[in-house]
Amino acid sequence: MVKQRGLNPLSGVAVAALVGCLGLAGTANAAALHMAWSQDATGLDPQKQTAFSSIRLLELIYEPLVRLDDKLAVVPAVAKSWDFAPDGLSLTFHLDPKAAFSDGTLVTSADVKASFVRLLDEKTGAAARSNYLSIASIETPDAQTVTFKLSQPDVPILAAMAGVNAAILPASAIADGSVGTKALGSGPFELKSWDPNAKEVLVANPNWAGGKVGVDEIDISVLPDETAILAALRAGQIDMALLNDPLVATLVPGVAGLKLDRTPSISYNVLQLNPSRGAMQDVKVRQAMSCAIDRKAVLDTAALGEGQVTGPITVPAYATDPSTLFCYKPDLAMAKKLMAEAGFANGFSATVIAATGEPATAAAEAQVLQSQLAQIGIKLDIKMMELNVYVDAWLKGDFDMAVALNGGRPDPYTMYNRYWTKTGNLQKVANYVDDTLDTDMNSARVETDPAKRKAIFADFEKHITEVSPWIWLFTPYTYVAERSNVAGFVPTPTGTLFGLSAVTLK
Amino acid sequence: MIRAIFHHPSGRIGGGIVLVYLVLAGLGALGLTPHDPLMQYRLDRLHPPGAAYWLGTDLFGRDIASRLMVGIGQSFFVAFLSVAAAASVGTVLGLTAAWVGRLWDGVVMRSMDVLLAFPAILLALLIVAIMGPGTWTSVLAIAFVYMPIFTRVVRGPALSLKTREFVDAARTFGSSTRYILTRHLLLNIVAPLTVQVTLALAWALLTEAGLSFLGLGTQPPAPSLGLMLSDSRNLMETAPWLMIAPGVTIMIGILGFNLLGDALRDILDPKTRGGRA
Amino acid sequence: MNLLTRRLATFPLVLIGVSSLVFFAIRLVPGDAITAMLGTEAGLLTDAQRAALQAYFGLDKPWIVQYGHWFWGLLRGDMGISVTYGKPVLTVILQRFPLTLELALLSMVIALLIGVPAGVFAATRNERAADLAVRIGAMIGQSTPSFVFGLLIIYVLSAGFGVLPVMGTFTPIWQDPLANLGQLILPAITLGAAFAASVTRIARSAMLDVLGEDYVRTARSRGAPARTVIWRHALPNALIPVVTLSGIEFGYLLGGAVIVEQIFALPGLGRMVLDAILQRDYALVQGAVLFVAFNFMIVNLLVDLAYFWLDPRIRAGGQ
Repeated sequence: MVKQRGLNPLSGVAVAALVGCLGLAGTANAAALHMAWSQDATGLDPQKQTAFSSIRLLELIYEPLVRLDDKLAVVPAVAKSWDFAPDGLSLTFHLDPKAAFSDGTLVTSADVKASFVRLLDEKTGAAARSNYLSIASIETPDAQTVTFKLSQPDVPILAAMAGVNAAILPASAIADGSVGTKALGSGPFELKSWDPNAKEVLVANPNWAGGKVGVDEIDISVLPDETAILAALRAGQIDMALLNDPLVATLVPGVAGLKLDRTPSISYNVLQLNPSRGAMQDVKVRQAMSCAIDRKAVLDTAALGEGQVTGPITVPAYATDPSTLFCYKPDLAMAKKLMAEAGFANGFSATVIAATGEPATAAAEAQVLQSQLAQIGIKLDIKMMELNVYVDAWLKGDFDMAVALNGGRPDPYTMYNRYWTKTGNLQKVANYVDDTLDTDMNSARVETDPAKRKAIFADFEKHITEVSPWIWLFTPYTYVAERSNVAGFVPTPTGTLFGLSAVTLK
Repeated sequence: MIRAIFHHPSGRIGGGIVLVYLVLAGLGALGLTPHDPLMQYRLDRLHPPGAAYWLGTDLFGRDIASRLMVGIGQSFFVAFLSVAAAASVGTVLGLTAAWVGRLWDGVVMRSMDVLLAFPAILLALLIVAIMGPGTWTSVLAIAFVYMPIFTRVVRGPALSLKTREFVDAARTFGSSTRYILTRHLLLNIVAPLTVQVTLALAWALLTEAGLSFLGLGTQPPAPSLGLMLSDSRNLMETAPWLMIAPGVTIMIGILGFNLLGDALRDILDPKTRGGRA
Repeated sequence: MNLLTRRLATFPLVLIGVSSLVFFAIRLVPGDAITAMLGTEAGLLTDAQRAALQAYFGLDKPWIVQYGHWFWGLLRGDMGISVTYGKPVLTVILQRFPLTLELALLSMVIALLIGVPAGVFAATRNERAADLAVRIGAMIGQSTPSFVFGLLIIYVLSAGFGVLPVMGTFTPIWQDPLANLGQLILPAITLGAAFAASVTRIARSAMLDVLGEDYVRTARSRGAPARTVIWRHALPNALIPVVTLSGIEFGYLLGGAVIVEQIFALPGLGRMVLDAILQRDYALVQGAVLFVAFNFMIVNLLVDLAYFWLDPRIRAGGQ
């Protein structure tokens, strides 16, 4: 805190003048919620955008057929109800008759069909397409009913449809090509203006089927520095903010009038090894690394303990208790023994890549891992890279090890088939082929019994931590800071801001 | 020369500071630090300054005092080397551009304009993209950013000196071009150049901090003053000593260089040599 | 004006140099608009999808063809479309430029108002207590990174006084001068402090030089009052390096003050370029760098003209 008596009278006058000058700024509209975040959306096409910073904006404007609640259960959105056929080869949705786009036109099955046809069209360039490849055809028996015919049973497809990448767009906007330049959706808010990397203004959508939203307007400012976000919260300039850096977020509870929502995320911090390179080709070396790493210490030091040690599966419904997994209790003696058995008693040298500021804790994680692995003779050279340079290297699988924060999905199959099945799109990134993992993933896809699926995933988790192609560390928290005048926000593990539709201002 | 510095009031202070820094950096390089600068004392994370850790510890429980000693070496290495490169190349280009004039002047100054016109961050980013981040990349990036400034700073006064009587006189007496350039022009530009060098050293230290701020500078876990400073920003409230220690170290270091530079300028400048002392 | 026309004639040359350099250099940086938009999800794209996106972002042709296309557009005054803003590049730049221009002017005014008098004052009291005080003040200003200074201002104001300028937006001065000043004054002070410190040092040093010159000594020995000697005879010549420095700094500031804009969340040119680089918005990076380069050259031309005006010797020499 500033010691006021430390100021001499002259600077007091100067500050008072400055305060007077600044105080003129910003008189708030009673029903306008002022928000801030540090990273802005990168575009408005809900099917194509995959960055979290874009998705959380678009989820306020667009709606998919179904969405996930705060327990990650599938709940209605544009669709009121849905059912799988007994043979698992078709999935039928019954639309909410009140569902309407913000210009007032009703959402019909034709819009749903047009949206999915666009999503599946390779010319659209939607990365999420890979989640819906089992859709063979789409039928629209009437204006409120849509049936997806599947080429094979596909249980995870329902949860995959709960994301904004499967948003329902107006067929007319698809026809005239205005998707991505003009935002027209059926979500709780309408986009009034967007100045990229600076500011966006959302207004309540009067036609939203979900009812009346709690605020008339949301102004979102992009404040790239999180310390400045905290300052803006303190000064009452904003009511609510998203924070990423635990170093800043943990200060929020100490400020009078502010409160912090921390929600365990389903994304995960991981040390990705490249099992096709050097010493790491040997499973014993990878196991030794897993045993040498103290995950709790990484979490405590790099993220101030803000998060939870996790196994590969982060969705609570399917996750195994991490303490039962291979070497989740650090065992240095075992690690050294394994290294010796593999013929690397003196260790080896490798490079670990990490992205600057993505996540905020990346550099710190790399440094703790470096010091832990030094205990078994592994000399790590840390290379911090600009995010895009990092992504480029990551996609090519061009690294020895990589510190990463990878996104989670509500269904473990959708989350991991890309890496661990033989046909996965990111097989090149994982650089690891394993029959058990492939079999587990593919049987989880067609299995409809939740208990059996849970058993399959437990086996998957046990096996993958034993062969240890990656070393899973911890799930971070997502943070929303609020002033005390904000009420009713419900955070979820996916980090969606859909809960803003219920927020009111006191 | 050294005696002259220590007879000069600001030279004494500046020289003393630089000497102390060199000693600290030397001890750091020899490993004679209170603790291992890379050792993470897990139980003493974010420990305030005290008897065990004179300047406290950082997020990882590493001793700040030890890291500062090594960091001084790292930062001044980058600053010195980049400024030396920028100043020598820049001076040669500036002098020759002013002296030769015509096409050479045009080519040099237009190329410098191209470099100057580039936002420094982009220049740094491009160099890092080509070479990969690290110490040498920082040196090169900073040198590239400041070379055009030296060129301009030298060329301006050189142009003005070129038309002065004593240069004309030297030319009539048949002095060689090289002699005129080094004896008359360079000697007379030494004063503004020295000031520019000390300013540039300060800037280089700050630029190094800026590059670290963007993750393009020294790679962790090796300490540099800039990296320590930029790492401290989100811990400003939790652990203010993390910002104060490298901040004050940079400040005093720059003070030392500037005072020394001022003294050098007084000593080297023939016009002021007699006037003061 | 021979110099003016000669310098203007070199403009296209430098601009072509800048444009080629930025065009190819930005493409050498790994990653493109697709990875910027999709991140690691870009790995899920099929070949056909990737080709479709490359065509969409204009990345499907060889570099040299892209360059020709872009250059041909430039000649017709078309800088292309920014993929992040979905607007013509020039429109985006001109939206951000007023803030940057005003911030640069404001910082320079602050710097010169503090720096020149302080430097002159220190020079006249060479090596005495007042001189030392000014120099130490200048060095503190100079040695504090702008992110530290800016964060401290924000912290002290918000935690100590509970106020802060409205961040994230910019109100043009013609709409609401007071709000405009409220938004810009703190960043301007942050930038101006470091700038003023450099000006002080250069002014002091130049003044010391000039005070040692024969003509000043002559004026002094003829009994001219100290005030006249300093302000009339010495200052104009001492201003030459100050003008050089200010010109360079001002030119830099016109390119945007990235870190200060970042901390105070000002939507200026510097942050725009940084974001454009990070998002691999090639057209915007190219356009913005060209724009910044053009401004920089104009400022430099003005600096060179100021030499003529300030230094009678160059004028007489006819260089």
